Amino acid sequence: MSHRVFVCRCEDVTTHEIEDALDRGLSTVEEIKRYTGLGTGPCQGKECMCTLVGLLVSRGLADADAVQPFTARPPAEAVTFGALAAVPESPPEKGGAS
Amino acid sequence: MTVTNEMGSADAALPQRADVVIVGGGVMGLSTAYQLMRLSKGRLKVVVIERSYLVSGASGRNGGGVRMQWADRQNVELMMRSIDICKGLAQELGINTWFRQGGYLFLARTPQAEAQLERNAELHHHVGAPTRLLSPEAAREIVPQLDVTDVRVATYNPDDAVVFPWAFVWGYAAQAVKRGAVVRTHTSVERIEPEPGGRDGFALHLSTGESIEADTVINATGAWSVGLNRSLGIELPNHPHRHEIMSSEPLKPFLDPLVVDLACGLYFSQSTRGEIVAGVSMPSEGDDADPTEINLGSSMLFLGRLSRALCRVMPIARSLKVLRQWSGPYDVSPDGDAILGRTPGFPNLIQMCGFTGHGFMMAPVVGELVARNLVQGKDHPVLSRWSPGRFDDPSYTGRGETMIIG
Amino acid sequence: MASGILLRRGDPPWTLDYDGRSIPCAPGENVAEALLAAGELGTTRSLKFRRHRGPYCLSGDCGTCLARVDGEPNVRACLTPVHDGQKVVSQNRLVGRGPDPSALADKFFAKGMDHHHLMVRPRALNEIMKEVARNLAGLGTLPDRVDGRGATFRHEAPDVVVIGRGQAGRAASQEIRRRGLRCIALERMPGGAKHDDDFDAGVFGIYPDEGLICAAAVEPRATDRIFTLRPRHLVVATGARDPMILIDGNDTPGVVSARGLVAAMSRQHFRLPDDVVVIGPDDPGARIARGLNARHLRPQDVERIEGSDAVDHVRLTDGTRIDASLVVLAPRPGPASELARQAGAPVRWNGAGFEVQREHPGGRVPSPGPWTLWAAGEVAGVPTGRSAHDGQVVAQALCHREGAES
Ligand SMILES: Cc1cc2nc3c(=O)[nH]c(=O)nc-3n(C[C@H](O)[C@H](O)[C@H](O)COP(=O)(O)OP(=O)(O)OC[C@H]3O[C@@H](n4cnc5c(N)ncnc54)[C@H](O)[C@@H]3O)c2cc1C
Ligand code: FES
Repeated sequence: MSHRVFVCRCEDVTTHEIEDALDRGLSTVEEIKRYTGLGTGPCQGKECMCTLVGLLVSRGLADADAVQPFTARPPAEAVTFGALAAVPESPPEKGGAS
Repeated sequence: MTVTNEMGSADAALPQRADVVIVGGGVMGLSTAYQLMRLSKGRLKVVVIERSYLVSGASGRNGGGVRMQWADRQNVELMMRSIDICKGLAQELGINTWFRQGGYLFLARTPQAEAQLERNAELHHHVGAPTRLLSPEAAREIVPQLDVTDVRVATYNPDDAVVFPWAFVWGYAAQAVKRGAVVRTHTSVERIEPEPGGRDGFALHLSTGESIEADTVINATGAWSVGLNRSLGIELPNHPHRHEIMSSEPLKPFLDPLVVDLACGLYFSQSTRGEIVAGVSMPSEGDDADPTEINLGSSMLFLGRLSRALCRVMPIARSLKVLRQWSGPYDVSPDGDAILGRTPGFPNLIQMCGFTGHGFMMAPVVGELVARNLVQGKDHPVLSRWSPGRFDDPSYTGRGETMIIG
Repeated sequence: MASGILLRRGDPPWTLDYDGRSIPCAPGENVAEALLAAGELGTTRSLKFRRHRGPYCLSGDCGTCLARVDGEPNVRACLTPVHDGQKVVSQNRLVGRGPDPSALADKFFAKGMDHHHLMVRPRALNEIMKEVARNLAGLGTLPDRVDGRGATFRHEAPDVVVIGRGQAGRAASQEIRRRGLRCIALERMPGGAKHDDDFDAGVFGIYPDEGLICAAAVEPRATDRIFTLRPRHLVVATGARDPMILIDGNDTPGVVSARGLVAAMSRQHFRLPDDVVVIGPDDPGARIARGLNARHLRPQDVERIEGSDAVDHVRLTDGTRIDASLVVLAPRPGPASELARQAGAPVRWNGAGFEVQREHPGGRVPSPGPWTLWAAGEVAGVPTGRSAHDGQVVAQALCHREGAES
């Protein structure tokens, strides 16, 4: 196996790919995410985003007091189109099954 | 290694004055910057100012669909040219664009939609676009997973395509910078003022406290253009509309074309990474609120509506899973046509907005024709048709493109 | 194939079929555990370098245990209970057809792979590369069954929704119920429900604009269940998880996260082999190593983890080789704050992750939604040992606000 240190395993982003993005002048979490693909796979950043932020902070590239994560969007857990299709156009105001 | 800042940066040095300042580093602004540098052979001083990071606007949030299947002849012809550019754009810009010509498949379920597709097919035939009118069964041969009950007719154009949008933005930025343009990110233009002293130029005031002068300013801020125009007292009728979109978990390739169901405005395609990327028409409530406020949130209403439509059109999607939903701003123009060209009262302020849901696919060709106009003085018919002044023209009919999705 | 890295306590009554191989399993286990116990550590190949990959986090967060289960693609093996005769198929790799040529990518791109600039020119090569990439990307293939599994919908408007039934969440929901408020407590890890209002479902979306919390349970063979909830109070108690530790070879199958493994061991189906290594800072690494009866190493002393299709040994910076069949990564845990952030909670970097910022005392959090938002336990940076107490404190503050009697 080649020697690699993975930051994001879903998208095969290693420290090498992060360095490359930094060298190209990308410096924020959102930019590095988009350029390397980090956090865009099945884990949606749950495993890798904080590792990236830790790396940026430790190198003085991000300010620990100001740094923010990339936008959290649904779904945070697996959900099928079939389940979603079962939700009526406007969910009822009162409780109950339908 | 050294930091190259090949796509611009937050600390790129600004000149005091530029020939052209482009406000907005989306695909429109950057394709124009690249073409200006290319056609002027690097002689023009061009500066692009982007408020956030590259791909933060609509250009980084769209579905990457590129089609020549339009209802309006000029749009068909423009897009034939744009698709031609796209074919070799990876090589031209030196970056993978993942341009894939899997076609667009339109489905009609109503007599009106059927008539529209028939008119389109005839027009496309006339201008030489390879669109075919298909029976529902023939549509199923292209996408066997479709449920075509109630589908009356379909059209298919094999040259239509999907792309990876971010690479266009990065590629245009890198090539513009390489030819001498300045791309400044994480800086916003707060205010534009006509230059004092009778010149027709402008002074632009930036969020960093800096300012820069320009002979010509291009407003390429898309859905954010209303606020910028207002700083000069300009009112144009475009307004932002949140358009939501989502992608599924990655799957092995099974879907070649982008499919559009005209009945509900559902569209879906499969990206090179294997995700189904899909959107659907949503009500436009809230659009008449303050047009300088842009909501980029996500809704359950969208996810439910999209899922119901997708499971109906492609039932096998029922046990597939959603990976992420997000949203971006459409910059809606009232007649569906872009707002492009010199601003009434401000001849050196060029508007490049109102591209609604199809600005990405048009950027390669529009950047080229705007740059030709500025550098070589060449005219193009759309420059008068899409002119920002058209809304005040007594002969304006308000009729424009009818094949807008979402 | 490697030897099992989880050891069984007894003779399991069931078998499942994994890529044609019969694998023992027992009620209460999940698919990932059964595979690890049978020495099947690699369930897929990675996207670009085509390296072996398998279950890592054992708790639904990392996405590398995805497998085809009972005819459905991309199922998280670690969240899926086993059953007798279950059919499990690995994804995105060749099985039993000789060596996989795509595995050469790891050697060929030894330095790294820049997919943006890979084989862009000439165009003919680019076209081939795109087609190859498209086929290597994507994980599962389409489901066997077209009609999906059916779904039930339920809407509830309780006083309180608690997300997470870990220490903080359980303590909070018990206290809230004791004081007479209706409280629905959701948990995504199956099992452990003790009350009618304990729902086994994962909250996937919080939509402050719509005032909705949405949760689902989707498992192959079962009917999908989806819930929308509209509470007056929302308590986020989603705990923490282990971020990746940056060590060469940290993706090797047989490397697992400490949290996931500790939780699996607490279910008491398995014991561990003798050659287990825990890598992590003294806190919590040393403690976790003691609990697992394993050897503790500090990250700065580790040169790399070695092994291709499974962990073989750990090489230290001083050259020492330590044989290991299971490597446990035990970093300082980072708060799992995604859902709180969807609810609009402010977060701050705490050195390991983003913790929810609460108003003191009581644990209330500002949120744009129509509910009062609270955070309890590790998600708010409270240490594991104090989480249960914190859950109780938050519950008391919430009930006090409601005027609920004890
Ligand atoms: C969800 C979605 C799906 C879409 N799907 C498609 C599709 O399939 N095909 C297609 O062709 N089109 C599609 N579109 C439309 C397309 O994305 C847009 O028309 C196109 O990207 C517009 O490009 P732009 O450069 O004009 O705008 P943007 O990319 O929005 O760029 C404008 C930039 O200006 C910046 N800015 C704003 N104000 C200022 C300021 N004051 N100072 C400095 N900078 C400023 C912004 O940060 C932004 O980056 C879609 C749009 C959305 C939202
Ligand atoms: S998601 Fe199952 S092991 Fe990580």
